[in-house]
Amino acid sequence: MNENENTETPASDRDLSNAPDMIVCEGVSKWYGDFQALDEVSATIKEQEVVVVLGPSGSGKSTWIRCINRLEHHQEGRIEVDGIELTNDLRNIEKVRSEVGMVFQQFNLFPHLKVLDNVTLAPIWVRKKPKAEAEEQAAALLERVGIPEQADKYPGQLSGGQQQRVAIARALAMEPRIMLFDEPTSALDPEMIKEVLDVMKELALSGMTMMVVTHEVGFAKEVADRIIFMDDGQIVETGTPEIFFSNPTEDRTKLFLSQIL
Amino acid sequence: MPDTPTSTSAKVLSARPPLWRDAVVLKWVTQLFLLFIVLTSLWFLTSQAGDNLEARDIPSDFNFIERPVDIQLSEGIDTHPDSGGRALWVGMVNTIRISIVGIIFATMLGIMVGLARLSNNWLINRLGTMWVETLRNIPLLVQIIFYFSVLTVLPRLTLESGPINGWFHISNKGISMPRVFLADGFYQWLVVVLIGAVVGYYVHRHRTRLHNETGAITSPILWAFAVITLFAIVGIFIHPIFSWVGSIFGALASLFDSLTVLVPQIVLSGVALVGATTWVLRFIRKHRSAGGHLSLVDDDWFRIIFTIAVSVILVFVFISWEGLSSWILNSGRDLFQVIESKFNVDGAARPFDAMRPEIIQKGKFPNYGPSGLTMSVSFAAVFFGVVFYTSAFIGENVRGGILAVPKGQIEAARAVGLRQSQALRHVILPQAFRVILPPTGNQYLNLTKNTSLAIAVGYSDIVQVGTTVFNQTGKTLPVVGIWMLFYLSCSLTISVIVNWFNVRMQLVER
Repeated sequence: MNENENTETPASDRDLSNAPDMIVCEGVSKWYGDFQALDEVSATIKEQEVVVVLGPSGSGKSTWIRCINRLEHHQEGRIEVDGIELTNDLRNIEKVRSEVGMVFQQFNLFPHLKVLDNVTLAPIWVRKKPKAEAEEQAAALLERVGIPEQADKYPGQLSGGQQQRVAIARALAMEPRIMLFDEPTSALDPEMIKEVLDVMKELALSGMTMMVVTHEVGFAKEVADRIIFMDDGQIVETGTPEIFFSNPTEDRTKLFLSQIL
Repeated sequence: MPDTPTSTSAKVLSARPPLWRDAVVLKWVTQLFLLFIVLTSLWFLTSQAGDNLEARDIPSDFNFIERPVDIQLSEGIDTHPDSGGRALWVGMVNTIRISIVGIIFATMLGIMVGLARLSNNWLINRLGTMWVETLRNIPLLVQIIFYFSVLTVLPRLTLESGPINGWFHISNKGISMPRVFLADGFYQWLVVVLIGAVVGYYVHRHRTRLHNETGAITSPILWAFAVITLFAIVGIFIHPIFSWVGSIFGALASLFDSLTVLVPQIVLSGVALVGATTWVLRFIRKHRSAGGHLSLVDDDWFRIIFTIAVSVILVFVFISWEGLSSWILNSGRDLFQVIESKFNVDGAARPFDAMRPEIIQKGKFPNYGPSGLTMSVSFAAVFFGVVFYTSAFIGENVRGGILAVPKGQIEAARAVGLRQSQALRHVILPQAFRVILPPTGNQYLNLTKNTSLAIAVGYSDIVQVGTTVFNQTGKTLPVVGIWMLFYLSCSLTISVIVNWFNVRMQLVER
């Protein structure tokens, strides 16, 4: 999918070596009881970089991405987001969360609020924006994700693809510097996947720092600067899409690719 | 013309089926048949019951309602009712009173219990669990009798224990506390509070606009309450300056007195005619298309003609029925005179007054006098019984409602940066409330019906009073009928209120 000729510069051709670090993970470990979900995960993500995290289910991809805005606590190691370290300090957590937008597999829109109010809720109460300004911004964001006409509907009245695009608009309304995507297309019907991926592609080209957990190989090949492959809570291999898909080094990566390609 | 296969099958399918296969006919026949059976059985049962009642000489008339009875009630708006109907009325008021107070307190306690069971604090969590598991597993009747027996072993009330110096007094006759009541200056004070409410409304609007324009947290509701409270407090000192308000009502009263019946006749007729004309004009404007084309179906014409006919009939009624107009004039005058007299007080009168509990002895035994607010032992036993019992169930509803909000909602709220309290207010509670409300409405119904256990400890609710009435008059069936009607109307009222909220809260889906 998405194998159309792209005349724009592929994201992976950009040189980001001089960009500042946005997310720094050093030896992050996490256990659920006796089960180790993350095992010494270390990675650095640069500003404007688009990183796609691949791996079989249960490999710890979602746990890792959820640690980055503290929906899960890591137990060892350190995570730094835009220079703010995530500890038990509530102020740091709030600061990080207002800079990091997140999109979930199940959309998690607020079903009792209209689409417009879903988008304006956080800007009004967290950013303390005037209502009119927040609504103007929300309308512009809905336009950007391609559903300006749905503003007055409730989430339950929208299709899955439209709901996920509202969720992206809701995250963007906080003007985040980083966007996290936790399997954003896994709960969607095939014909709706493209409309969500298109929005994400546009977002990547606009220079957003993105970390995407997904199974969409086409998206990874086309948009990612770097692929991170995880298994058993560890980072097994990282590399640019070209090298990762055509010439992987690790056996586990080869096995995984042979199963999904 | 050659007969093609398609046209044949179309003909067969569209043909009218025979009556015994026609779904519509069958549906109607079944309904009518069932209705016939139900009506016949009802007729049979009632006629049989009537015959048997007559044969055994069991009275089923309602004349005890107006006959004097010899009943003395332990508490209520009238402890020596002069007729059976009045006695039942006192019982109804007592039932409604304990139900409303019980519902309010059971709700507050239930919310606390539910939140306690969700608490991360080990001690609070276990206390909540113990509360729920103990109370909902012991029969309510046992609990009520338990509270009653605990309260009756309190020290005996004697004249020696009074006059009461403290604010509260507790004894085997119940709990007595100071009573606050409206005094002469209340209506002048009310004017100040009403002005405060108007000012508060504008403050609320202003603060809301400020929030929308600047985005700052302006707490409009808090501000409005603060303004009203401020006016209420200041009003306690300055309310006599509003004693002149009474003269406005006095002037209105004399105005109503001076009018002839012609004025209300003209005003009422005018309102009916103008109202109907406006409605019809607006109706026609709404049904006119952009091009000016008017499209009305039969039903629309019927509405227009019906409206005009009703207005004409109303005008006829207003003109021909002079009694209505003079009744309006007289009652208006009386109302304004009463209000005027409420303002006619000495300048120093206080809006409220309070009295301490006192002990008096009228008959053989001392009891609490009317000056205090007294909660009798029977009332307290029933009250604690239904409130504690129901709070356990409401607590479980609250817990279930909050747990029913998907975890993803909380995560999404936290991920966009809302704090815990903001997530609770804007995301979790609005969704939990939808789940909590319907089963809690059922608990309100249960609480109201459970107050009938008051008969076990002698609280004068409708069942206890009714029992006494039919013991004295022998009219068992009519009293039971009144009970059933009363509880039915209480339950329906609660259901209507709960359903109204329920409909308003429903999620919009496809």
